[in-house]
Amino acid sequence: MAQAEAFETDFWKDANLRKTWDEIVPGLPRKTLPYTLTQEAIALYCKSVGETNPLYLDEVAAKAGPFGGLIAPPSIHILLMFSCTPADDWMRSPGTINAGQSWSYNSPARPGDVIRLEARALDKFIKRERLFVVHDNVFFNQKNEVICSGRGQTIRPA
Amino acid sequence: MTSTTTFDALREGDTIDGPSFAVSRESIRLFCDASLDYNPLHLDDNYMKGSFGKTSFGGIIMHGMNNFGLISRMLTDWAYPAGALHRRLETRWLKPVRPGDTIRPQGIVKTKQTTAHSRWVVLDVMVSNQNGEKVAMGEAMVEFPLAKAA
Repeated sequence: MAQAEAFETDFWKDANLRKTWDEIVPGLPRKTLPYTLTQEAIALYCKSVGETNPLYLDEVAAKAGPFGGLIAPPSIHILLMFSCTPADDWMRSPGTINAGQSWSYNSPARPGDVIRLEARALDKFIKRERLFVVHDNVFFNQKNEVICSGRGQTIRPA
Repeated sequence: MTSTTTFDALREGDTIDGPSFAVSRESIRLFCDASLDYNPLHLDDNYMKGSFGKTSFGGIIMHGMNNFGLISRMLTDWAYPAGALHRRLETRWLKPVRPGDTIRPQGIVKTKQTTAHSRWVVLDVMVSNQNGEKVAMGEAMVEFPLAKAA
């Protein structure tokens, strides 16, 4: 749980520093932070969704498996989205509602990887009085291999 | 369907059943800690008594991405033993999921396609609650690489 302890869990703090829908400029890169993925973080994520696959959790079994070592579940980008962005990132704005996501997976993330995110809003629009932003995100490992790439839509707090 | 399968044996309409998942305040809190997503939508009952533009939830809700994680878990548990790879997942949320709900993902083979260098299965995916209501749906793609084909 060390990771969560080092992370600001009060999303109200610094909320005034985050860009609102009006201020978000499609095309402008978001600030991001490199993040070292740990086995502890992978194990905690696995626990939260009930993952028990030894490829994620058992070093000996994983080494004999198709990836030659431990990997993270593909959906680890759910964690990476918050671990690779700073506290003033607008994805943390309280009331942000996830309206859908699509992700493509290339190379699996592994414990010890230093992961980098390239992200931006691509578009924003109003639909049924709701304020939407479309964002795209690509996670890379320390070898500049693409781990996964994704596109999402969120409804921004008014 | 058994846990191991082959590309050739798959047929349109074949189903994959994922794990049942009991949603509780504790499971939602654990997902906050694991994902670092501490949006008050998932933590703060008082905040959730308010309305969000045209939407009102009335209490905390599960992260939509918890659905995503469960679908992904179902797909990898199915694909890896077959030497296949979970390559894509697209989802959208239909209904909020609340503490006390029990949800379960499912997949249905929609199409198979062979490309120049590999073989692909497209699946419709969904998550349903204990009342049989769909709470999330989408589409997934699983690759059955030629070199690793059974």
